[in-house]
This record gives sequence, structure tokens and C-alpha cells, in this order.
Amino acid sequence: MILAVLFTNTDGNILVERYVPHLLPALDSFDSVNTFPPIPSFHGVPAEERLHWRSFLVKLGADNLKGTKNEELLVASHKSVFVVYTILGDVCIYVVGKDEYDELALAELIFVITSSVKDVCGKPPTERLFLDHYGKICLCLDEIIWKGMLENTDKDRIRRLIRLKAPTDA
Amino acid sequence: MASGQESSGTTLMDLITSDPATAASAAPSPAPAAAASTLGKPVTTDRKSKRATLTQIQNDTIAAAKALNPVRAIPQRQKKKPVSYAQLVRSIHELAATSDQKSSQKQLVQHVFPKLAVYNSVDPSVAPSLLMLHQQCEDRNVLRYVYYYLARILSDSGSQGLSPGGGIPTPNWDALADIDAVGGVTRADVIPRIVNQLTADATNADPEFHSRRLAALKALTSTSASSSEILEKLYEIVFGILEKVGDAKQKRRKGLFGKQGGDKESNTRSNLQYAALSALRRLPLDPGNPAFLHRAIQGISFADPVAVRHALAIISDVATRDPYSVAMALEKHIEHGGALHDILHLHDVLARVSLARLCHSLSRARALDERPDITSQFSSLLYQLLLDPSDRVCFEAILCVLGKFDNTERTEERAAGWIRLTREILKLPEAPSVTIKDTDNPTAKVNTVKPSSKAKRPQPLIKLVMRRLESSFRSFSRPVLHAAARVVQEMGKSRAAAYALGLYDVDEGIQLHAYSENAESLDSEFNSGSQSEGTRKTVPVSNGPGGMDTIAGLLASLLEVVRTTVACECVYVRAMVIKALIWMQNPHESLEELQSIIACELSDPAWPSALLNDILLTLHARFKATPDMAVTLLEIARIFATKVPGKIDADVLQLLWKTCLVGAGPEGKHTALEAVTIVLDLPPPHPGSMLGLTSVDRVSASDPKSALALQRLVQAAVWFLGENANYAASEYAWESATPPGTALMMLDADKMVAAASSRNPTLAGALTRLQRCAFSGSWEVRIIAAQALITIAIRSGEPYRLQIYEFLHALSLGGVQSQFSESQISNGEDQGASGTGLGSLISPMLKVLDEMYRAQDDLIRDMRNHDNNKQEWTDEELKKLYETHEKLLNLVSLFCYVPRAKYLPLGPTSAKLIEIYRNRHNISTSTGLNDPAVATGISDLVYGISELVYESKEAEKESDAIDPELAMAWAAGLEDGLWGKNAPAMEKVNEFLAGAGTDAPDVEEEENITSRPSVTYDDLWAKSILETYEAEEDDARSSGTSSPESTGSVETSISSHFGGMSYPSLFSSRPSGYGVSQNSEIRSGNNGRRFSNTSTGGPTLEGIGSPVREEPPSYSSSVLQRFESFENPLAGRGAQSFGSQDEDTGSHNPQFGKALYDFTAGGDDELSLTAGEEVEIDYEVDGWYYVKKKRPGRDGRMAGLVPVLYVSSS
Repeated sequence: MILAVLFTNTDGNILVERYVPHLLPALDSFDSVNTFPPIPSFHGVPAEERLHWRSFLVKLGADNLKGTKNEELLVASHKSVFVVYTILGDVCIYVVGKDEYDELALAELIFVITSSVKDVCGKPPTERLFLDHYGKICLCLDEIIWKGMLENTDKDRIRRLIRLKAPTDA
Repeated sequence: MASGQESSGTTLMDLITSDPATAASAAPSPAPAAAASTLGKPVTTDRKSKRATLTQIQNDTIAAAKALNPVRAIPQRQKKKPVSYAQLVRSIHELAATSDQKSSQKQLVQHVFPKLAVYNSVDPSVAPSLLMLHQQCEDRNVLRYVYYYLARILSDSGSQGLSPGGGIPTPNWDALADIDAVGGVTRADVIPRIVNQLTADATNADPEFHSRRLAALKALTSTSASSSEILEKLYEIVFGILEKVGDAKQKRRKGLFGKQGGDKESNTRSNLQYAALSALRRLPLDPGNPAFLHRAIQGISFADPVAVRHALAIISDVATRDPYSVAMALEKHIEHGGALHDILHLHDVLARVSLARLCHSLSRARALDERPDITSQFSSLLYQLLLDPSDRVCFEAILCVLGKFDNTERTEERAAGWIRLTREILKLPEAPSVTIKDTDNPTAKVNTVKPSSKAKRPQPLIKLVMRRLESSFRSFSRPVLHAAARVVQEMGKSRAAAYALGLYDVDEGIQLHAYSENAESLDSEFNSGSQSEGTRKTVPVSNGPGGMDTIAGLLASLLEVVRTTVACECVYVRAMVIKALIWMQNPHESLEELQSIIACELSDPAWPSALLNDILLTLHARFKATPDMAVTLLEIARIFATKVPGKIDADVLQLLWKTCLVGAGPEGKHTALEAVTIVLDLPPPHPGSMLGLTSVDRVSASDPKSALALQRLVQAAVWFLGENANYAASEYAWESATPPGTALMMLDADKMVAAASSRNPTLAGALTRLQRCAFSGSWEVRIIAAQALITIAIRSGEPYRLQIYEFLHALSLGGVQSQFSESQISNGEDQGASGTGLGSLISPMLKVLDEMYRAQDDLIRDMRNHDNNKQEWTDEELKKLYETHEKLLNLVSLFCYVPRAKYLPLGPTSAKLIEIYRNRHNISTSTGLNDPAVATGISDLVYGISELVYESKEAEKESDAIDPELAMAWAAGLEDGLWGKNAPAMEKVNEFLAGAGTDAPDVEEEENITSRPSVTYDDLWAKSILETYEAEEDDARSSGTSSPESTGSVETSISSHFGGMSYPSLFSSRPSGYGVSQNSEIRSGNNGRRFSNTSTGGPTLEGIGSPVREEPPSYSSSVLQRFESFENPLAGRGAQSFGSQDEDTGSHNPQFGKALYDFTAGGDDELSLTAGEEVEIDYEVDGWYYVKKKRPGRDGRMAGLVPVLYVSSS
């Protein structure tokens, strides 16, 4: 299950954030069961959990992504959850997954994402460029990850699908 | 930083709209359009009558939005102002109405929809406009977004459609909530409408509509699975499509990697197949449904690779539940050249991963035992996947071979996996049509395959795997390194499992082969037939020179590569490598290399503490797999304690110590204790010293924080030592073989020490360490050391007690002397610096020992007198003796727990006399009135705690299922044989870890609650520790240790845990309604072991928890009863002793009490009371007292039942 996808700029501001309605493991002592009143959930992920994960990922990037080459893959893990992240232009991309989406599957996923983003933006995006193509990128993500599973991996196919064309010419 | 845009003050919307170009054109434009549309459009758009309602809703919504945001000019000239959600929504409403105009479409696609995407989701009030667009708009780009947002609305799980946490939290969401309320558009309103429209799309077979059909189907599957109605509909659609397109015989064209050129019809079919299977994959699995499986299996032959992937994933899921049907259905495909073999060459990694999992499930399925032909075909296919060019697939195949499927495998499966890996042979099918990959270079791309004769030679799996892993470890990609290390770790787990179960005949191997290096080498004579699959032949691996081709050789060379990987700059990769090395470490292998690697690694400040604790937990898991490794693992844990004291959790470390000590077995206990206490031998950290970074014993606590942490660890170790030394040394006063007389004669200190260390080096060693700590540690450490010493003194026989006595005496004198010498200048507060500062702490300890020795002397003298005069002991004398005994027992109990039934403060010789008196006077060995817990009022706490206990009942129930055998072993405490006999005794260790703990388990849990109510292991676990194996989480949940902080005072040390010892604490003498006490007349003459025989059934704590009891009752039943008694205080006697311990002195000494309140009898056997009335309490039953009054009351009765709470007993 792909648990989360996160795009940030190099300052750690969130650009895109997608969590899949399945449990991310708790990052620290925060106990979601005992919170009262209950924290509103966001696609099944409690808000506070989300914040923990967000800050965990952003910190990971801040610590490690400096000086990393474009699309060089970095890896982390937490409990049974894997994180693969990279930088593309001015945009840091994080993906979190578990079970069949281990480091290597996430590496595949992040490769699909980066190639689609490059395809949409025409090159490794600056933050501005990324934001200019924000909608398209969201549609791409929608074609790549669907309900926590990797769907389309071929960038041509994705390009067709976000224009509401059939995956193969009909 | 952490919270992204919120903290920085810039929202994503700010960022997006900050573009001058965008802002100028986007922000202002919706407004004019809105102005126009809201006025005119409702009329003009009313072209179709069925849209009337939609338009109505839309109008309402707009009106509501306007009502809430009356200032219409906001977006207009404020270029930098971020667009609010409400504005975007309004724009959609307005633009939807004019969707036939190109400009509106452009607006929507370029500005409104992309910006709305920032919010991740939309609320239901947008739905009418979206649906309107969906019907009217022809523009593909607009429609794509419409499907996108419709899917989002469908998938929103929030009941009211608005998830306030969704997207970027801005005040707009609040405004929206109001809109929602005012406009009255709820999910319930729009969902059916959306579903209907999408369903119409999805069933539309018009070729023009083809792509919309696919998109609609996809959007429909976003529906949350809770609505069975929609699911029904979806199944119908999906199966309808598959009905039409699924059956067609379609041959997947070769040349899979290029674009698929094809006729339009087949492309349409392929697209529909893809969409349908993709949807099916998102639908809940329906394993019993033959149509479901049938369609999925058809999918294997589809042309679309993604469709094939989904089909395989579905089949693989079904196969875990119903392997037989799946195997039967796949029979044709698995045959040589069948569709499943084609997937080996399918250009979709996840499809091949699913294939591996499918093959694994089917080749291991019990249901298919009758069909070895089928299972072997699947095994063979799985082994071929080991050659897959993708690391992901290859690793999945390795994990499957190793028996790692999810996290729920049993040890047997893992063990079988290791055997499979080491013994199986891959024999490639000799099919000319199948392209063979070059086995010597497995990483070669699949499209560069060239059949080579060499490749066809059967290869042992282990060799393939090792080569593949070695080449992976040379990769530069961190994910690959991480994954490879993980695979090695799993390999280690399977290997450990194989060793643990003894399935792996490695021991025989060592004896049979002189060349022990090759101990693990494949031996075809041994194993053929028994382990190999029917269709393959096992052949010896020895096709190369030297030891390289033995498993040991292969492993060694792999581990060499693994070790070099610690040079990777990524700590996560390094952590995984270390975990892999820990798992690959075997009990009898040299530890040095691993130790030095870890020591080196820990010197790197980059390690996050969570990761280090994770590794500690790996040690724990490793221990669980192989209890023999306790000492090895403690050695490793020690490195953590010394190198990174500030980063590791003392509780985790203590847990590890405790479990390792317990698991180390009789002969390992000494070493285990040594390994723990080596922490104490560490020199104090030298600030700033960076020398000897790689030395294991060097402390690197260069900053004050870690120095402090180190000190905490030392405290923990000292405490641990005190609590567990007796256990480790198997030395207990009540079992001591040495008669006291001998000890008293050994007053010469040198002789005493010599005798002590020769008799029990473990205890002597522990004493030496503690003595050093009591002298030279920091003040906190010295306090704990003194407490630890007195604990050992009380629990140990001679000469240790005397030795400690002497030492403490010297210590207190030293302290006094230094106080004298400095009395002029000292205000007494710098005791920690000047003297030992322990005088006040030690003197009561000395007093207890003094009293004990004096009483022992008196006893010996009295006995001699009686002997000389040939006098019998009179009852009076015995009573006096017994009182002394009780008094001392109470005193002793203040310092540490001792089993009251067995402990003889007057020495072993008193046993007989005490026994006589007890028997004569029918005195229970249980605590009763004289329990110091009662006397000191500690038991009063019980009431406060009881609720807590009750609440935590749920948690405690986890430990309900305690193996009675284990409980016995632990209750008996000293039965080391159990560990020895059943080693590795995995299950027992696991149960122990699960809370069936070292001590009478539930007792300890209560202790936990008593002394540290706030810290449960859940907290501990959740706090900072990362856990790799989810299965472990449960295991460790309830087993507790205490932190050394809890030993700060005498009280807490009383209530503290008794480490690895089987002691319940004083606290547990409370409610403890162990049902056994009801057997009131059970009395056993042997050895003073008696159950409570008083009618009040005082808690027979010793009966359960005493480490020296021979025949403990079934634990599980008593625990169960206890819970029952908590649930229903009226149900059992357990609870009765709860609040009434004070008067639990037995039926022979009836208690008197006073009625607290008026009570009116409600039944024949009840008795009315008047407040203030004096009563005599006869006995208690189920929360009722049977009382007698002095004179008849209102009802004319003299005796009857009254509620316990109505009477205060005196």
C-alpha cells in the first residue's frame, strides 16, 4: 500500500500532500486512540499523525537532500514503513509505502512520478513551473496512484489519460 | 519547518497565486463571469428539464455563498491576495453555467480547477456544478477534472462530506461548513446523483464515449466500500464489461516493449479489459465467487500489462484464502508455455512480484498436498523469478523462497524456507521458445538475453541468490542497498528459525565433517528425497574450487560484501545492514567483527536515537529467535550503553537485560549478569575525549546530556544487579545450604570473602561491583547500590549477608567519621561530596541486620538451653519466638520482597519451631493482619489503585493465556532445568516477553500499575522506539521493567519490580483474589507450604507467587478467577479480601465492627442495622458480612448478612 506522497519545495513548504486512507504507523508517543476530542481525520489519517509524518519527512529532506543530485534516490524506514525520496529541480518528492511497496517498488513509483512531472513541466521544475502546472501534476498523480496502489507507469499513457484519452489508441 | 506552509505563514495558495501573470488573469476574472451568470444563466441553462433540480441546488448554493460573502469585490484588484476556496467554488458554479463557452472552459482548466486541487478535496456543494459540467461540457480537459473531483467527493469518508482537516486548513473551510449548512447540499444528496451519472457513463458502449467510460468507471471505484448498494452496482458494471470483452481469445503480441499497434477494436477491448480489472482490483475481494476468480484468471492473458498486473494481484490474494480453487483454475496456465510463463517476460515489475507471491502461496499450500505436480510447477516458476532482471522481483522471490510472505509466518515456515533455499536446485525448463537469461550475470537486462548452454545447467538456489545479492550490494542506489540488506536480514531470520527448530542438521554436519567450515555445505546424501521437490534432483554444489561453494563459504563472502556496505552514507541503510548482521550472527560464531562494526558506527553522531532503539529491539527479536544468544546480544547491547548512552532508552535496555538474563539458562546466567554489570566498570566519561573511538569499552559521553544518560544507565544497571543477583546466582537465604553457625564462625573477613567467592562466584562478583559502586559512584548511584546491597544481604544466606553487613558497617562508619572530621565546616548538605552520604540510609539497614543476628543468637542460645535441659518448648516460648519471627519478617519486608512463607529471619534452625507454633495455632503463612503493607498503610492505596487495575483489565487479559507450565516454572523460580530442557523454548520466551514474565506475572503487572501508573509498555513502545516487526509489538507490550528512577526511595523500592526474580511485591498481597484460597482447609504439611486456611481466605500470595513452592496451582485458572472477581465483586471471595484485609485474621478471632449507616434488611437472611450499632463480624461472603448483634434489633433478629460497606470493622 502506498501510504503517502508528499511534494515540498526546498524550504520544506508543502506543495502536494496525499495520504491514503490507511494507517501510517505512529511516529512517536502521540496516541491517536486516546485523543479527545477526536482529531478530524483526513482521508483516514488523523490530522496530528499527518503533521508528524509531514515534519518527519520534511526533516529527512532537510537533513539529507542538500547537495543531492536530481533524481538520486534516498531511503529511510520507520517500523515496517518505507520512505523513498528525491529531489527534482526545486521540488522534493517523498513517497511512503509498506508491504509490497517496499524501497524498490517505491523507487519505481518515484521514477514514474518524476518522469511524469518532467513530462508535464518539460524539464526538472522550478517551484514556479511546478505551481504553474499544479493541476496537471495532480491529475498525473491521480493516474499514477489510485487508492493506494500504483496504477499507470508509462508516461505516454499517463499523458493520454490526463487528457481523458484512452490508454491505448482507440 | 515542520508544519509546512502554516508555520511559514505562506500558504500554498499564496505561492500559486503569487505569480503575477496568473494572479492578474485568474483572480479577477471569475467575478465578472459570476456577475453575469448568476443573473441570467439559471433561466438559459434550463434546457433540459431533468437539470432543473441541479440548477436549483446550484442557485441555492450560490445564494448561500453570496449571503456569506456579501463583498463581491474581494478578488478584483488584489493581485497578491490568495484566492479563497469559497471564491473558487463560486467560480465553478458560475463557469459551469456557461460551460459551453470556450472562455469558461479555459478559465476552468487553467485557473479554477488547478487551484482547487490545492484543497485536495471539494465539498458536496460543488457537486451540482460538476455534474452539470459533466453533462454539458464537451471539453476533455474540463471533463478530466470533473471526473477527478467527482471521484474525490465519492471517496471522502467524512460523513458530512467536509473533512475540516482536508487539504490546507484555512478559514475558508469554516465558511464552507456554513455554506453547507445553509445551502443544504449534503453528501447524501449528491452521492446518488453522482453515482447515477457515472454509472450511465460507465455502461455506455458508444465508441465515442469510450474514454469517458473508462474515466467514469475509475471514478466510481473511489466510492468507499461501505455502501453495499454502490458496490453491487460496480460489480455489475465490471462483470458486464468483462462478459463482453473478457472471453475473446487474444494473444498477447510479442514485442511487448514497444507500442502496441493494433486495430481499433482490439485496442478498445484492451482498454476496457484494463479498466474493468483495475476496478475489480479496488473492489473487495470475493474469494468464494467463482466468477470473480474466473474473470481474474482470464485477465492473465489480457494484452494490457497493467490489467495483467491487477489480475495477478487479485489471484494472488485469492490464492492465500482458497489455494485449491486457484490452482485448479490455473492448471492450464502453469503448464509449460502457459500464460503464467509469459508473465516472466511481461514488462511490469509489480505483475511479476504478484506472480512470485502467487507461486509461493500455491507451492506451499497444504490444500495441494495431493497434487505435487502442480505445486512443483509453481515452485519451479518461483525459482525462475530469482533470475529476474528487476531487483524488486528477484528479492520478492527470495523472500518467498525464505518463507517470508507477510509478517505472520510461523517459525516452521521460516525454517522450511531456509532449508529450501539451501537445498533446492533451479533447473530451467529446456524450452527453445523461452528465452533464457544469463545466469552468470543476472542483472543483465532481459532484452539482451542470449541463450547459453551454461545457463541451462541446474543451479543451487543459494548460489544464485548469493551472487545476486552480492551484485546488488555493489549497487549505488540506496533503495537497492537497503532492500538487499533487508533480504539478508530475512535470510538470517529464516536461518535462525531453522536452527531453533533443529530442523537444520547443522550439528550433525559439524560432527560428520572434519572440515567444520563446510559444516553447512549441501549434502546430497543426507537430504535428497526428504526435502527436495519431487521433480527436481538434488545435486551437490561442489562445482567450484575451494570452500567457496559451500554454504558457509557463500555466506562468508556475502557477509563480507554486506559489511562493506556500512560505508554507505545513509544511516538507514547502515541500520539495515547492522540488523542484517545481527540476524546472520550465530551463537557459536565470533562476535568481534560485529562488535567492532557497531562500535565504529555508533561513534557517528548522525545516528538518530529512534534508529538506535530500533536496533536494540532487533537484538531483542534476535534473542527471542535464539535464546542461546543472550550473552552475545548483551555484549552488543553493552556497546550501545557505552557508546550512545544519551540516545538509547534505558527501559528498552533493561528489558533486553532482563529477558536475556532469564533466557540465558543456568550456565549462561553468570555471563549474562556480567555483561549487564560491565556497564558499572566503565570509567567515568572524559568530557571532550575523542580518543579510542573504536574501542568498545570506551565511554563516549562527551556532552553533559549523554553523561547524565550514562549515569542513568549505571543506576539502572546497579538496580538491576541488586534485584537479580540472587536469581542469577541461584542463592537464596531460604535455600542456603550453609547452616548459620558456619557463617558465624567465619568472622575473619578474608576467609569469608574467599569462601564466598568459591561458593558462588556470580554473587561474589556482583557484590564486589556493588560495593565499588557504593563507594565510588555518584551519590544517586551510591544510594541505589546500598539498597541493592541490603536486598542481596536479606535474600542471601551466609556468608554473603555477613560480608555485606561488614561492608555496610564500614561504610556507615566511614561516613560518620568524615562527618565528624568536617563537622565544623560542613553544614551537612555536602555529604555527597565529603563522606559517603549514606549514613541515614544505611543505619536502618544495619539495624535490621543487627536485629536479625541478635535474634539468631538468642535462638541458638535458647535452643541450646532447651537441649541441655531436655526441655520441651512451651507454648509461651514458641509464641515469643514466633512474634520475633513475624516482627523481623515485617522489618525485612520493608527493604525488599521476601517470600513470607519461606523466609526465616531467625535462620534455618528456626523453621521447625515456627512450624510447630503455626500448626498448633492454625496460623496462616499468609500475610494477614501482620502484613507490613497493611501496617504501614500502604494497602490503603489499594482502593485508589483498584480502579486503575480494573481499567487495565483489558490489557492484562492479554496475559491470560499463560502457559501453566511456564507459570509454574516461574512460580517455582529456580527451575532452570526448564530452560535447559526446552531450549530454545521459543514459545516460552515469547510468552515470557508477552507478560508471563519473570515474576508471578499478573502480580508484576499490578506492580507496574502501582509504581508507575503512567508508563505502560505501550507508551514505552510508542515513545521513541521504532519497531521493525509488528508482530513483536504485541509480544513486548505487557512485559515491564521499571526504571531506576522508581528506586529512589525506600517505598518505591519496596514496590519496585523484582527484575528477573519470581517475587511478587508487597503490594500484591492486596486484592489478589486467587481463587485457590477458597479451598480453605487445604493444608500441606510439607515444608511449611500451606495454603491459607482461614475462613476469611486471606490472599495466599505465597501460594501462588512463591519461588519455592513445589506444586503451584494452575495459573490460568486462578488468573481467570481473579478477573472475574474484578468484574463482579459479589461473585467471588477474591474481592472480599480486597477491602477487608485488616480483619482477615480468621474465624477464630471474630472481628468487631460498627454499623456506619442504617441498613434495612431486604431478604430473609439479611439483618437490619442502625447506625452506630456494635456488631460482631463472623465472616464475609461476596461483599456481605455475616454479623451478630449484641441484642435483637428492629426486626427482632440477632444475626444475618449486611453489606460490607455498611460496617466499619475495628
